[in-house]
Amino acid sequence: MAMSIVHRATGIANYAGSSLLVLWLAAAAWGAEPLNLVNAIYGSWLGQLVLFGYTWSLIHHMLGGLRHYVWDLIYGLEAGQREALSWANVIASVILTLLVWTIFVWVGN
Amino acid sequence: MREQILSKAAIANPKTKYGDAKASTRHFLLQRLSGISNVLFLGFLIFIVTRLAGEDRAEMVEVIGNAWIGLPFAVLLVIVTLHMRNGMRDILEDYFAGRTYSLYMTLNTMWTLAIAVIGVFSILKLVFWG
Ligand code: HEM
Repeated sequence: MAMSIVHRATGIANYAGSSLLVLWLAAAAWGAEPLNLVNAIYGSWLGQLVLFGYTWSLIHHMLGGLRHYVWDLIYGLEAGQREALSWANVIASVILTLLVWTIFVWVGN
Repeated sequence: MREQILSKAAIANPKTKYGDAKASTRHFLLQRLSGISNVLFLGFLIFIVTRLAGEDRAEMVEVIGNAWIGLPFAVLLVIVTLHMRNGMRDILEDYFAGRTYSLYMTLNTMWTLAIAVIGVFSILKLVFWG
């Protein structure tokens, strides 16, 4: 099914995303000026777009990973069940991502 | 891993030793166990980032510099890099073989090691030296 490649793609996106996290941590450790620079880049519309995508990628990959544990217990492997899990994953990951951004970014700040 | 053309038959036949015959079960388990730890990491990450996005150094030191937050986060980050390297190995095994595979695997190791070292040192700096 097409969804397995999404788990792979989100794994790669998370791989890249770790660099963004470490860059931010390193800038904070380094000093105020590097931190301001990173904050300006991440706070720009492009930066926010990337971080939104990174949030979704992490959440989708997490749910996809948890699905692997279900499969390892030989549940949910039948035709129909697999597709249902895939759709549930897409819908849940979009809802959770929007929830995180709504609560902490759009309303919280 | 030796040079070979990957086909469905090659993957299905145990004698071709597709992937790493000795270590693949360990890789499988490492990925499952680190994946569980990553759920906790994601909890920390969302808390830390939403609390600190756009904030200045003083705030960063206050939150990440708190040893109860910084130290577990550093440990979880190291586990993430193990999961990153191991997951990327899985991908590389599928598309490359022989020396090309070894080359990419070396780059993978160096990159994830750099992420771990820079990440941990940055966090420790915030925790112990502010
Ligand atoms: C948030 C919780 C996470 C869970 C539960 C999780 C779980 C998993 C599992 C079970 C697999 C193996 C899938 C398989 O056997 O085919 C996997 C693969 C992978 N994960 Fe994660 N993971 C998580 C977070 C992350 C993070 C943060 C990264 C990167 C920094 C990442 C990168 C990868 C990569 C690159 C793969 C290989 C994908 C493939 O083989 O196609 N994961 N993950």
